[in-house]
Amino acid sequence: MPIAVEFQNVSRHFGSVRAVDDVSVAIEEGAFFAMLGPSGSGKTTCLRLTSGFERPSAGHVRIFGEDCEGVPPNRRPVNTVFQDYALFPHLSVRDNVAYGLMVRGLDKTERYARADEMLELVKLPGYGSRKPAALSGGQRQRVALARALVTKPRVLLLDEPLGALDLKLREAMQDELKLLQGSLGITFIFVTHDQGEALSMADRVAVFNQGRIVQVGTPQDIYERPRTRFVADFVGSANVLSPAQSRAAGGPEKWVSLRPEAIMLTPAPQARVSGTVTGIRYLGAMNRVSVALGEAMLVATVPSGAALPPVGAETGLTWDTRSVHEMDGE
Amino acid sequence: MRSDRAPLGLRIAAFAGLAFLHAPILLIFVYAFTTEDRTYQWPPPGLTLDWFAVTWNRPDVWSALGLSVRVAALSTALALVLGTLCAAAVSRARFFGRETVSLLVILPIALPGIITGIALRSAFSLGDIPFSTLTIVLGHATFCMVVVYNNAVARFRRLSGSMIEASADLGANGFQTLRHIVMPNIASALLAGGMLAFALSFDEVIVTTFTAGQQQTLPIWMLEELVRPRQRPVTNVVAMVVVIVTFLPILGAYYLTRGGSETAGGGK
Repeated sequence: MPIAVEFQNVSRHFGSVRAVDDVSVAIEEGAFFAMLGPSGSGKTTCLRLTSGFERPSAGHVRIFGEDCEGVPPNRRPVNTVFQDYALFPHLSVRDNVAYGLMVRGLDKTERYARADEMLELVKLPGYGSRKPAALSGGQRQRVALARALVTKPRVLLLDEPLGALDLKLREAMQDELKLLQGSLGITFIFVTHDQGEALSMADRVAVFNQGRIVQVGTPQDIYERPRTRFVADFVGSANVLSPAQSRAAGGPEKWVSLRPEAIMLTPAPQARVSGTVTGIRYLGAMNRVSVALGEAMLVATVPSGAALPPVGAETGLTWDTRSVHEMDGE
Repeated sequence: MRSDRAPLGLRIAAFAGLAFLHAPILLIFVYAFTTEDRTYQWPPPGLTLDWFAVTWNRPDVWSALGLSVRVAALSTALALVLGTLCAAAVSRARFFGRETVSLLVILPIALPGIITGIALRSAFSLGDIPFSTLTIVLGHATFCMVVVYNNAVARFRRLSGSMIEASADLGANGFQTLRHIVMPNIASALLAGGMLAFALSFDEVIVTTFTAGQQQTLPIWMLEELVRPRQRPVTNVVAMVVVIVTFLPILGAYYLTRGGSETAGGGK
């Protein structure tokens, strides 16, 4: 697969703030790539470096092998779905979608035909003559998507595309985006702070922290084999044990992570460690049990229906050593 | 408990306030129809429409009116260009001294007209610039620019920044973005600002007296007529015209900028 977007030692500084700090990553054509991280971690700046709204302070951004230095946003083969959608309020939905074709000089008949086709694709047929103000949040999102896709960009950038939608709509859109990406075969790069979204939609995920990429990999890599404490913490709620705590539990003297679903409650004799149950939260299919071990706190998820000790009781905990994952203490 | 009707005392006070504000203006209108042309005698001894014909045939009225319209149009045009560019810079870019520039642009309207007038007059004489239509236009542009700027800056703030980026992202160059995205969204604000600027310029006296030399704009002409009574009601007829010419744009500007919130935010 050719490389669609490549960052080579890219930095972007705002004054003394290193928004993006020496990032190198290659995104293959046709990938669904997620940039995941807390706010201010540099993921959005990376997106803007790709779209051309920011220029790197150092390093090179290449799109299909071509260095983008000095290429303005309107000449890049990438389009963006903005976080606030940025629909043009004075134009009808059809004119919004056809905008990219209009500025390229296509005549009205053809651009409207293609805009209507796109509206069909995003399941908004017949909405062409409305104004954006008359649409719901989810519908606006689809219009923004149609508008960005109508010019057939080779890369689509999505900035927190689902952030403004409510939970149910978000889940539906996740599935749709995934299907759309598969059928169009365009490279999707999307920015999110929602780890669930990143893991479920992307085929590759880059985890950002403080302007750097901490780990790039498949969702499985990121979730099961976090490279650092930060990744383990941020991606799902892994239990993190310090070297001392790990050794006390019979493990290596290193920072380790342990997924809640890998921990089992067990009577004291077979237990690796034992502690006091401090809380139980019912999550539908699971119960989430918090157990205090001196200073440390471990969280285990137990399938609903299994017997649970009451809050305040002593319980033993055990796990398979293969599910203990060593990592950097960063 | 709330009653729909205000207490009687309050209503009387409100009507008194309105009368205080507007009765003198009505008086001016009434005297435009009086049959007596030397002193303003109350009540008017008789009513006539003759003064409209007399006014129509006075060349000095026409030349003053012509100059006023020319000055107002030119200074509005100048203010539209400068005020909009200024507003765009202040609201779209971040640069050193941005707040100061914003304050300095608004300052001329806070500054007493007499200061602006004296300053401009000294500047013109220092630069050996003879009085002409252009000097009046420059004087008026100082405060016309402020109203255009204020209107434009408010609209620019509501124009979501990502809309302009979205336009560029979709392949539009700067000119296309200006024409298809920026202009449609700020047009009504510019029209409102322009109308206000025109009205301000049309009835301006103080700055004009310092920058006009021997030329007479309509308000200056009226001032002179009051000192030198000859066919006095002609002044009243002209005053009526000035009220109408300045009031209509202000009313228009009010309706244009009122509740235009549907152009805000870009789909939020």
